[in-house]
Amino acid sequence: MSWHDVLSLFQGLQTLVDASPVLMAARIGFIILGMLLVYLGKKGVLEPLLMVPMGLGMSAVNAGVLVLDTGKTGTLFLDPLVTNQEQLFSLLQIDFLQPIYTLMFSNGLIACFVFMGIGVLLDVGYVLARPFLSMFLAICAELGTVAVFPIAMALGFNANDAASVAMIGCADGPMVLYTSLMLSRDLFVPIGVVAYLYLGLTYGGYPYLIKFLVPAKLRALPMVEKKVLVVTSAEKLAFAVVGCTVLCLLFPVAAPLFFSLFLGVAVREAGLHYFVDFIGGPLLYGATLFLGLTLGVLCEAATILSPKVLLLLILGMVALLLSGIGGIVGGYIVYLLSGRKFNPVIGIAGVSCVPTTAKVAQKSVSEVAPNVVILPVALGANISGVITSAILTGIYVTIIPHLNNLLK
Amino acid sequence: MNSLLTITLVIYGLAFVLSMLVAGMIKLVYYTVRFFTAIQEAKK
Repeated sequence: MSWHDVLSLFQGLQTLVDASPVLMAARIGFIILGMLLVYLGKKGVLEPLLMVPMGLGMSAVNAGVLVLDTGKTGTLFLDPLVTNQEQLFSLLQIDFLQPIYTLMFSNGLIACFVFMGIGVLLDVGYVLARPFLSMFLAICAELGTVAVFPIAMALGFNANDAASVAMIGCADGPMVLYTSLMLSRDLFVPIGVVAYLYLGLTYGGYPYLIKFLVPAKLRALPMVEKKVLVVTSAEKLAFAVVGCTVLCLLFPVAAPLFFSLFLGVAVREAGLHYFVDFIGGPLLYGATLFLGLTLGVLCEAATILSPKVLLLLILGMVALLLSGIGGIVGGYIVYLLSGRKFNPVIGIAGVSCVPTTAKVAQKSVSEVAPNVVILPVALGANISGVITSAILTGIYVTIIPHLNNLLK
Repeated sequence: MNSLLTITLVIYGLAFVLSMLVAGMIKLVYYTVRFFTAIQEAKK
């Protein structure tokens, strides 16, 4: 009995030893990365709700590779690359996460559930109080979402893939997933994984960007509120209904996302407490758990290993960096236009990672001036960021397929 | 390359215009609801 026969008793080890050196290194790398994500999630450096299931899924899927009936290697988690209907039906009965992936993840339902939950948590009163200011800051903070599109095309991506990669700049996970599902199914898995990994990093990286671009004196600038606008529930509900209808009318391709977001807002403002408790609790947290788990399980080395992944990693970082810079530049523009009475740090909250970037902005200000409160204005920009991200999703998904011939 | 940059600027421009339109719509909705609320309160 050779050592190889002994190893065949433990197929995870056998497939690891039999794999090519690159695949073996990648599998080991992902196992370690998964453990690191769980650790960083627990420590609070990255978002724990997403990173703990994602990290554990990443480690488990790369450890649990076995030899399947067909002689090929695979896992009993899920197969994202299956296209044959008969094969898919068979996998739905074998791979335990395949039903979640096929029926909830790959059609964007899970992203819509997360969006409903975000809608329930959002207080659109902050946007209604200062709509032009909030939307201006938010569109400035979409710089990376737009600027990375030509950069990716210059690096050899086609228009669909370039738009999907550029969407990482909006820092809005469901939007990135949705755009790549619509435009770039081949790169859907790596783009989704890169996007969510980086979303965790905004919490750690943006404070340094703020410190680098905004001097302490300006960070400590107090906000002078002329008049606090009182916004009633009826006004918020009317905004949700009209906003949803108009945006769906303009961009039918992104209608499921608009609908989901505004449904959450409408349910909250209509005072439907049972729905609010369900959407903001079990639905949101259940969707987040399965989103993290599915994303982690999708990180199987054999699936994700592609020469384009390194480029995706670089472009994703550039997109988020440019969006952060764009937001702060927007903050500076308002600072100058307001007669130097506006704290430019608020601009970074236009990056629509709700509510992380608004909290990051407030934290950066509180470090130098504990009594200065910018959170209400920052939340307005933050929520507007979700709307501008949805607008850009709509634009990309609608016009990019028509541009392919023009850009060749 | 030029057409690519033009398209990028058009995308950003379109996003900017739409965002401002949404902001305008928000204001319009706000004042419309305010208007009808004021009428209702005046009737009482």
